[in-house]
Amino acid sequence: MASTKGQRLQFDLDDDDLKLFCEEADEQIELLDSSLVQLEGEPDPDLVQQIFRAAHTLKGSSATIGHKKMANLTHAMETVLDAVRQGRKRPSSDVVDALLAGLDALRVLANEVVTCIDSGIETVPLEADLMAVLEAPDEEGGTPATDPAAPASESPAFTLPAANIETALAGIGDGMSAYFVEVGIEPECQLPSIRSFQVIQELDALGQVLETWPGRDLIEAGAGEFSIVGFLLSRQSDEQLQTAVRAVTDVQSIATRLLNTEDLDQPQRATAAPPAAAGSSRQTLSLVEDGSPAEAPRGQPRKATQSVRIDVERLDGLMNLVGELVIDRTRLQQIREQLSAVLKDANLNELTENFEETTSHLARVTDELQEQIMRSRMLPIRSVLTRLPRLVRDVAAKCGKRVELVTAGEETELDRSVIEEISDPLVHILRNAVDHGIETPEERRAAGKPETGLVTVTAWNQETYIYLSVKDDGKGIDTSTLRRKVVEKGLMSREAAEAATEEQAIQWVFLPGLSTAKVISDVSGRGVGMDIVRTNIERLNGQITVQSTPGKGSEVIIQLPLTLATTKALMVMANATVYAIPLVSVTEALADHEADIHAINGRKTLRLRQRLLPMIDLARALGDSRPRQIGGGKFVVAARHGDRQIAFVVDRLLGEQDVVVKSLGDLVGNRKGITGATILGDGTLGLIVDTASLVSEQAALATPA
Amino acid sequence: MATKIETTEFAAQPATEEHVVVFRLAAEYYALDIQTVQEIVRMQTITSIPGSDFWVEGITNLRGRVVPVIDLRKRCGVDAGEYSPETRIVVVSSAGGMVGLIVDAVTEVMRIPGDQVEPPSSIVSVPDNTYLRGIAKLDDRLVSLMDLEGVLPAALEEGLLQSASRAA
Repeated sequence: MASTKGQRLQFDLDDDDLKLFCEEADEQIELLDSSLVQLEGEPDPDLVQQIFRAAHTLKGSSATIGHKKMANLTHAMETVLDAVRQGRKRPSSDVVDALLAGLDALRVLANEVVTCIDSGIETVPLEADLMAVLEAPDEEGGTPATDPAAPASESPAFTLPAANIETALAGIGDGMSAYFVEVGIEPECQLPSIRSFQVIQELDALGQVLETWPGRDLIEAGAGEFSIVGFLLSRQSDEQLQTAVRAVTDVQSIATRLLNTEDLDQPQRATAAPPAAAGSSRQTLSLVEDGSPAEAPRGQPRKATQSVRIDVERLDGLMNLVGELVIDRTRLQQIREQLSAVLKDANLNELTENFEETTSHLARVTDELQEQIMRSRMLPIRSVLTRLPRLVRDVAAKCGKRVELVTAGEETELDRSVIEEISDPLVHILRNAVDHGIETPEERRAAGKPETGLVTVTAWNQETYIYLSVKDDGKGIDTSTLRRKVVEKGLMSREAAEAATEEQAIQWVFLPGLSTAKVISDVSGRGVGMDIVRTNIERLNGQITVQSTPGKGSEVIIQLPLTLATTKALMVMANATVYAIPLVSVTEALADHEADIHAINGRKTLRLRQRLLPMIDLARALGDSRPRQIGGGKFVVAARHGDRQIAFVVDRLLGEQDVVVKSLGDLVGNRKGITGATILGDGTLGLIVDTASLVSEQAALATPA
Repeated sequence: MATKIETTEFAAQPATEEHVVVFRLAAEYYALDIQTVQEIVRMQTITSIPGSDFWVEGITNLRGRVVPVIDLRKRCGVDAGEYSPETRIVVVSSAGGMVGLIVDAVTEVMRIPGDQVEPPSSIVSVPDNTYLRGIAKLDDRLVSLMDLEGVLPAALEEGLLQSASRAA
């Protein structure tokens, strides 16, 4: 068959539907991504159910828009998952592999809907693989995981507590009838939970509802679904019941079954045919007398948090507006100060007081508004962390290692812009930890460690920063190899390399063009790793540090600001331009006359806490070629980048400020040493200094090679 | 004071007529298609960016947006004198975003009939002129019709790249 790659595809949906489809597909694929790996071994039935439903939803939505390949593939995946769900198939690693391969293809297929171009991906072999693993006999004799007595196609069983059966028997003796009622809700219904609730209320009005599946508390909490089963006592006829329930909007089907006393007396055998349902469900009702409290057979009680999807652009717009409010607030405060200076003598105390009150109130409200909007942009880091188990599994398999991944702090929240940026560096560090950090099972056994290595990824908040730690219990960073490498690569003289302390040598992992892995693998790349990670982190105004103990393992810690929208910065004036130096890189700021300044080789050098810092005129370093202002250069600001420090000479210190970072725009592009602009209190613009690039450039210039 | 220019009602005009904003650079008159002009503002504080090209004057704050500003006089090689009360920033929307253009004065908004426009080569012979679309001969003066994308640095750099690759 000729490849169809590159052909234009047409799907049956408009722009609004496209957005909906993408959101839903992303959500379900994400869910599969995070949960499929956990399927292996002895899965939690709830998890299996969740995965099955995700595949099912994807099948439905892809079929709706006429994406045949995607529908076929999801159908095959669903079939396998259904077998797993019913205990007919053990989720061996072959099964999970086939499902993961399917998931990878699904991602591409879902993207076709956006691009409308055939990616040329073939789903038939994947479907065949899925069917093959389904047909393959399970190891260990193929015993289904669930109760072998239960026919495989039956699920789930509804269990009545003994107390209810007694009540029911008593009720029947009292002239009432006991019914099983099964209600199906329209699949298109937007609010099945509310409809479920209405159905229950309707039944309440008709008789005594003894039990429902899902449980009443779940339905009342808003976790109702498309199918509700109730067990009730009523004096009404089944016809009356049906008419009453059908009156509820979106009810698709209702089936009732009258139970006689025999059904209830001999519950173990009371596996009855399904009520003659008008349509949907194949569920069979079976009664099992059981003293234990009834459990909801399906669906975990999902926490009913209320949320609204907001377009990110709209949120960005709000953030911009608040940014302007913040500026106006600062401006008002300045005017207030000027006003009170002018009006002090004019006996207008009351007026100025009122004005002061109003401006300070405005300031409080603005601060809070900014905070709230910033919070609304925050997402838990979970979405990043849930992708990691799959990654670790793949990498460990490739390198022939056994690794257990533990993640903690999934609830830690950070700005969505930071989440987008943090994923790649984190993945890289994690790959390094598995590929370079953790030893092979043999090496670990020889070292007296458990064969399975442990990698821990932890996230936490502290003040206005978020921290991420990737820790492994592997062999640690081999500093002797690092020392040899830096010399081999000509990055350092042999003497300098030998003389460096262990701590200093460990920091060399961030040097460009260095890889300590003996064999270059396709896992961790070829030495274009940690330096890029560091550059990326620092671009986000973050810091990255690494610690290591030989034989015990290493830990990489990333420190990031909570949001990229605002940054704390030290404002300075240099040659009539206001610059913002991100506070995260500032170590000290002091007046010229207090500083310990020396000249070495004709260069001014600052001595600060046992270190010599080259002094650089900030404006000149940025390429400001205008004539210097007279009487400038009275202050120095020490800034660091990694383990390098330099001292910027500036004209004036203007204090700390939260600055809203704005891009310079495509037209101006990336200017050396400047990351963006910010609007100042007086409405003019200040420039945000890219300390990372300036410090490394200037420190390199200052250090004789 | 910002002057917002209504553009919608002219969208359906026949192609034989150009609806333009005319402005002055030193003693020369230029015009930009009115569709590209967002607004015209008085001169305001511009923050220069160290290390930029000489005609990039810097960036300015336009109601919370950071907008790069180009001194069109320097870009077009006319005398860039002091700013006067007539100096304006013409804010245009280009493919690369909003850009402010410093001009000595905005003189008028007008329609130029297509038959009064001639290709630039017939009057001036500047070989690498990337930004002139044509010259309109009006009764009292000549107005150069400017191509917005051609006058912006991004287009210029691209043009340089292209000519470099053609040479190779």
